[in-house]
Amino acid sequence: MSLLSVNTVDRLDRPSAYYVGKNKRRRYNDRDDDRGREEDPVDKLRGATTLYVGNLSFYTTEEQIHELFSKCGEIKRLVMGLDRFNKTPCGFCFVEYYTHQDALDCLKYVGGTKLDERIIRADLDPGFEEGRQYGRGKSGGQVRDEYREEYDPGRGGYGRAYDEQRQREEDEYGAGR
Amino acid sequence: MADYERRNSNYRGGGGRKRRYRDDEDYDRRPQRRRYEEPLFVQVRRQLLTLAESAARRVEDDIVGIAKTVAENYEDEELRDTFINISLDLVLEQPMKIPFVAAATLAAQNLKPELGAEMLSKASIALQRYIDSGSWRETKLLLRFLGGLQSAFEGDGIFPLLEELFARAVDLQTTSSEDLLGLELVKIILFTIPYVMSSPATGFESQANALLEKTDIIASTPHALVDLVNTFSPDENKEAAGPSVISLLQGQLQAEAGKGWELKCLPRPWKDVQEREPDEQKPFDVVTKVPFPQITVPNPVPNGARPLFPEVYISVYANQEVDTVPPTSDISSSLLREALVDTINLLDFNRVATAKYLIDVDCYYTPGIFVKRATPFDRMREMAGELQAWKPEDVAVDAVFSQLYQLPTPEHKLVYFHSVLTECCKIAPAAIAPSLGRAIRFLYNNLETMDLELSNRFLDWFAHHLSNFGFTWKWSEWVDDLELPAIHPKMAFIHGALDKEIRLSFAQRIKGTLLEPYIPLITEGKEKDTPEFKYMSDTTPYSKEGQELMQLIRKKATDEEIEPVIAAIEEQAQGLGVEDPKVPSTDALVTSICFVGSKSLSHVLSCIERNKDRLLAIGSASQQARCQIITSVMEYWADQPGIAINIIDKLLNYTILSPLSVLEWALIESMAAGTILSKSYIFEMISATVGKVTNRMRQIVAARTQPGLYEPQLSVLDETLARERADMQALFKFIEDSIVSVAAGSNDEMMERGDGSGDLPEDAIIRQWGRRWLRVFRRKAAVEEAFINDALANATPVGTTAPAETEAADADIKIADADDQ
Repeated sequence: MSLLSVNTVDRLDRPSAYYVGKNKRRRYNDRDDDRGREEDPVDKLRGATTLYVGNLSFYTTEEQIHELFSKCGEIKRLVMGLDRFNKTPCGFCFVEYYTHQDALDCLKYVGGTKLDERIIRADLDPGFEEGRQYGRGKSGGQVRDEYREEYDPGRGGYGRAYDEQRQREEDEYGAGR
Repeated sequence: MADYERRNSNYRGGGGRKRRYRDDEDYDRRPQRRRYEEPLFVQVRRQLLTLAESAARRVEDDIVGIAKTVAENYEDEELRDTFINISLDLVLEQPMKIPFVAAATLAAQNLKPELGAEMLSKASIALQRYIDSGSWRETKLLLRFLGGLQSAFEGDGIFPLLEELFARAVDLQTTSSEDLLGLELVKIILFTIPYVMSSPATGFESQANALLEKTDIIASTPHALVDLVNTFSPDENKEAAGPSVISLLQGQLQAEAGKGWELKCLPRPWKDVQEREPDEQKPFDVVTKVPFPQITVPNPVPNGARPLFPEVYISVYANQEVDTVPPTSDISSSLLREALVDTINLLDFNRVATAKYLIDVDCYYTPGIFVKRATPFDRMREMAGELQAWKPEDVAVDAVFSQLYQLPTPEHKLVYFHSVLTECCKIAPAAIAPSLGRAIRFLYNNLETMDLELSNRFLDWFAHHLSNFGFTWKWSEWVDDLELPAIHPKMAFIHGALDKEIRLSFAQRIKGTLLEPYIPLITEGKEKDTPEFKYMSDTTPYSKEGQELMQLIRKKATDEEIEPVIAAIEEQAQGLGVEDPKVPSTDALVTSICFVGSKSLSHVLSCIERNKDRLLAIGSASQQARCQIITSVMEYWADQPGIAINIIDKLLNYTILSPLSVLEWALIESMAAGTILSKSYIFEMISATVGKVTNRMRQIVAARTQPGLYEPQLSVLDETLARERADMQALFKFIEDSIVSVAAGSNDEMMERGDGSGDLPEDAIIRQWGRRWLRVFRRKAAVEEAFINDALANATPVGTTAPAETEAADADIKIADADDQ
């Protein structure tokens, strides 16, 4: 309703710094081959109806996600993020709404609040594509769960890479004795 | 996506900083820039944006400081633009700061009249635009800003414009008794007056009083719709039903006029500055007066996008032993509420900022009208009588609840208001949590007479709020109520709240947050992820076929493989003399789908998808079988009704179920003498179903009323609209007819229970549920009708053909396009 071009406080319904940064990086790398089609990555989010949702517990169910996210509008599709190898939930998902406005409202009202007692993050996403439902970490889950020094019971304990290392060290220590 | 917290590949160990902790990668390759002097406009921008926000600074000094900087550097264009633009942005986005922004403008105008002229010109252009587009909130805020500058205007200043707005209101009111736009204009006038009267201008009492005398008749006459949007139906609870915002304000203003316009809550940031240095030019003394900007009010005035409804004043802190918020006899109640509500609704794009401004409410009003932040309620009780001051947290929380409980619908999605309360609790837990506790108590204690839609909003908020704070609540308070009958509104609330908590979490977790007396409410069934498949038991009729069917569905068998099993059940049923053999076969099919799909929503959806044709055929074949689809889903998920109604919702989307079939199932088949009306999930399901129909209706209306639409499309859309409208009306009629008998106590089942006298102890409660349901759906029906009528009033009439010239122009373009190719 307002005709203002700027707001007196920041807006929470903008693409995250991560999204902008990631695409900036990519553009920088691609500079040599396709200088011509340099489109603004933020343009891809114009009209976006999908959200990437992160920092979920591995145990959070589709129903729980549905329950919270449908407060912002009817959900068209919900894609759970899965471990590439075990096909078990690995702590993220995509939520697709019918309208762009619902997605923006979700960023404003649900992103950064708690689900299953964890602060979840929501980011506008250009749209789900087959394959993106799988974790891209070495061991199948999300990369952030490979190298995590803190213990997180909702996301499989310590980072998996560290866990392996710790296990190895323990075994070697045992063998040496 | 998954690698968004990617670790630097050449991690050097030693606890090195991870990449993700860096703020901006582009910057850290550069050497640190040398400190530089901040440009003036940046400084003024910051000062303006944080104006009045700090209790540690004297806002009077900041105002004069800003005005001086801008006036002394008048030739700095960037600075000038910053000052003007940010000031107007603040007026339109942070209404609580308007008196301070107006004071800064006044001071700037007196130091440099050209600066004032520029500000006025920009403000009046904006005002004109908002009036022309019917954006009444923005109009109101700009008028308030101009009203604060009253002392700088020649003659009567803002009053002639207010008079003109009033004349339009009178026209609208005389044309129609249902008019709401005229009321809105009067509300704007009334909310402008106090800010004019608290400005440095003096000697306008007679103009204000004259205007007030005239508005009285419009403001004090209750609008026909006001009872419909009341938090409490006057029929259920006359005492609790709130007054309309506009009638309340009219009375308060009249009282204030009698007190010489004390308006004690409104800040006067110019007062303390004036007596500083005797020889210096006083910043708020007007040097040269200017004419009030020329504004034209169109006749008739347009209405904006948002439909208008009467507003009711409610407070969740009414009738406490100590007043923690201004009583309705005090004009502060209206002034604080209105500014807070606008702040909340304008800043929906940043709930954290909203919460901060709410918590800081005491910065923006006369010092001393609030007690210190986080003063405990008990302490206020001790202080009662000593001084009259309000609890800032209660005033803020009250404003949020007034929006959460706005009928028919608030400006933003309900979850926004949930999130604002969550943020408030995060910023100041010790101050806000006890205020919320008292609000919850008030709402809980008034559940019986509260509008049913609102008690369901309360339920939804309560569960969602607790889910953000570890599900902790003082359940001990309500232990005694567990003795109440299951259909009592309080018991229904407790049941509903626990179910909603479980939906956001899981049964075991919720069980762990409860006191012993509540544990039986979390039944064993609720803790089961997969409810039992009834056909596993040999005692269930058709158990063999049921199991067979389930196995087939599990292995994604084809329709040809499934058909014989269905036929076997129907044959068997026929032999047993079952009236409609499709009922048991449907039960087996749908129960199997639920069981196989019980793992998750997407599992059940893909099961439904695979059997869609069969289900669609059932839905259209027999009414009883269609009802059985719902019964089977609801029974399978009886312990987790949230999942059941979610599946029903999806079945509606697949058009396997029709909206009417859902209503038939609930309000006829399962009415159970009206007791079903006490279940919150049934209300949720019916509301969602009706919501689907009204949403679709609104989409059709939008299509029909889009500009530039001509025949033959016009007639096609008009027919669709008429048809769907009749369907929608039939739906509302169905609800009305099914519930009216419950409300009147003449429902057959109700009569048959007990001795038929209708005097069973629970009958009165059931009748009340009936009345509350009726009220909600009558309101929904009225709102939708009004929406359609309003929209169609301005639509292109059927039969309009495209103007000939446009066609020619189109043809030209097409030729031009062809030439290009």
